Amino acid sequence: MATLKQYREQYISRNVQFVVIDLDGRVLESDRVFLAINPGDFIYDVHPFFASYASILETKEGSVTYNGVHLGVAGQNFITDVGMINKGNHILLVINDLTEHYTSLQKIAQARNESIINSELVVLKNLELEERERFKNTFIRNFSHELRNPLTSIVSITNLLEKSQLDREQSQMVDFLKESNAHLKLLLEDIMSISMIASGKLILRHKVFNLISLLELIAFTYGSKTKGTPIRFDLDYDRRIPEYIEGDRIRIFQILTNLLDNALKFTEEGSIALKVSLNQKRANKVSLRFEVSDTGIGIPLEKTKAIFESFTQLEEEGKKEGAGLGLSIVKGLLGLMGSEVYVRSELGKGSSFYFDVTLTYALDLASKPLKKNKKELLDLRKPKSNKKYRVLLVEDDERTQMVLFKTLMDTDMFYIDLVNDGALVLETVINNPYDVILMDVDLPNVPGDQITRLIRDFPFKDIKKIPIIGVTANVFEEDMDAYLKMGMNAVVTKPFDFNELLEAIVKSLR
Amino acid sequence: MILGHFGVGKTSLIRRFVENSFSDKYQVTIGVHISKKVVEVGPEESVSLIIWDLEGTDEVQMIRQAYLLGTHGVVFVFDISRPSTFQDLNRDLRIVADKMPETPLVVVGNKKDLAIEDELQILLDDNDIKADYLTSAKTGDDVNEMFTHLAMLLNGHS
Ligand SMILES: Nc1nc2c(ncn2[C@@H]2O[C@H](COP(=O)(O)OP(=O)(O)O)[C@@H](O)[C@H]2O)c(=O)[nH]1
Ligand SMILES: [Mg+2]
Repeated sequence: MATLKQYREQYISRNVQFVVIDLDGRVLESDRVFLAINPGDFIYDVHPFFASYASILETKEGSVTYNGVHLGVAGQNFITDVGMINKGNHILLVINDLTEHYTSLQKIAQARNESIINSELVVLKNLELEERERFKNTFIRNFSHELRNPLTSIVSITNLLEKSQLDREQSQMVDFLKESNAHLKLLLEDIMSISMIASGKLILRHKVFNLISLLELIAFTYGSKTKGTPIRFDLDYDRRIPEYIEGDRIRIFQILTNLLDNALKFTEEGSIALKVSLNQKRANKVSLRFEVSDTGIGIPLEKTKAIFESFTQLEEEGKKEGAGLGLSIVKGLLGLMGSEVYVRSELGKGSSFYFDVTLTYALDLASKPLKKNKKELLDLRKPKSNKKYRVLLVEDDERTQMVLFKTLMDTDMFYIDLVNDGALVLETVINNPYDVILMDVDLPNVPGDQITRLIRDFPFKDIKKIPIIGVTANVFEEDMDAYLKMGMNAVVTKPFDFNELLEAIVKSLR
Repeated sequence: MILGHFGVGKTSLIRRFVENSFSDKYQVTIGVHISKKVVEVGPEESVSLIIWDLEGTDEVQMIRQAYLLGTHGVVFVFDISRPSTFQDLNRDLRIVADKMPETPLVVVGNKKDLAIEDELQILLDDNDIKADYLTSAKTGDDVNEMFTHLAMLLNGHS
């Protein structure tokens, strides 16, 4: 058996080298265990590390240890701990070869550092992707915005063209042109909606509104759209759903009409239906299920995800006209509402899209400012006299004309004149006194906001001051602001909430 | 002495300076590597730089006292492509200055080749960072200049 002394020799001494140097760094003695260091060498010439011997002369302790020092001497590499001890007239160096130990540490540190750096890079990569996505959306938004002006010119000129002398063939071409314009306009608006949703620019505006009348408006709209076609429209809603709820009325309308338009597009005959049912009511929250179903061509299972993705439909070959971005807008808007749309479909039988939303509804009357009928509302604001007001309605869309006409007549407060062409407005206003103008923004020839500007710049006080209420299907905040800047007193968006409309009128009359 | 977080390119800067070479492969430094290069700082005047490459720590505070002995100058390196290496730069620099007052300090933003010049300036401004040098160990950009500048500082100092 080896003695302990032999073991010490075998396991320690072979790994520890002693070197003695003088205060000038000259090697006095070295036991040359693994580093080629010889008496007479200057220690700082052996390896630049040893130049640090000088600093121990400055320390009070008189000794210092360096860990993990890499020493390459005479072509051999070691990782060592080095102790330097000041012995007064000479310095003792104790060099401990720990190459194996440090090499294993190196492997651990390597793995650790690499994984930290990699995960940092992944985070950065994601940030960059998000940044790009944002840039893309901003770009698309600005770009489509830019496209709207030339498109407006094209639409105006097409309308002028239509009124000129045309033969049959030419007027057919103008019809195609009009159809394409309308399609392009829709697409552009959809793209803007999508990019606004994606870039977080679209903010929901919660307000109390009458859900039942919104549903009835939809029933009216789709009832007339399907009139004279082999498609029937059905509306069915649970009588227990609250009449007044708080939410973004315009966006809920947009979601439902997008789903219904989509249903119409893919249904040849049969029915499309909107059904609203009550999931539950608790405290002042109500959970509603909206379902739009059709008897159309149906969707293959493997496509039920893709139809909600932006732009996938645009890539499809042989797509139906206008099979654009409606569904991805639905998905995006519901996302903002914290909800999700689901689809059930059977090929050849039809599809059904449904979603649940939780909304707040007013428990007590006090918080239902709108729950008054039109008469009551008007009575509150109406001056004592039974004077009737003269309203000029500037609107080219026949359906809107009809709706507005009927609403205003019902109140028995107004005389109504109608103009359906922007170019005729100024003339009419000059020749007749009006108390208020309801002005559609999307007019043929001259847009409503520009007419407003012209009126505001008029040299006659009584004309220049006429209250003007803008009426538009645009739902973009920036547009609204622009209309107000052009001089409109208020802007009401389609679909109308009649109370809101009347309130705006009454307010403008003072 | 070269300080800075791990992976910022300390070892690479030294290798570029001393051997004029570069490797894309990352080899974690354990302990301390010491190398030496003589730098001309004027006609007939040269400084011998002994460069200590420490293993990058996450915390400057943790640097072993022994390593600070006999340090005449410090290069503090951060990686312009990794925010974590410069987020607390000003705090780190203050710690270094506290530990080694009077010692010349050069602040270096490395891996400049990974950024676009204009964006880089914005990035630095946004983070309130003043770097003395922006280098690339990969292309060698400004590496010699940086070390030579340090050598001149030391020369003036000693
Ligand atoms: N692109 C680029 N990569 C670099 C540069 N400097 C270092 N690297 C890389 O960054 C990693 C870490 O470098 P290293 O010098 O080991 O960093 P250290 O831990 O600070 O010593 C390695 O993969 C290098 O190849 C540079 O200037 N540009
Ligand atoms: Mg290193």
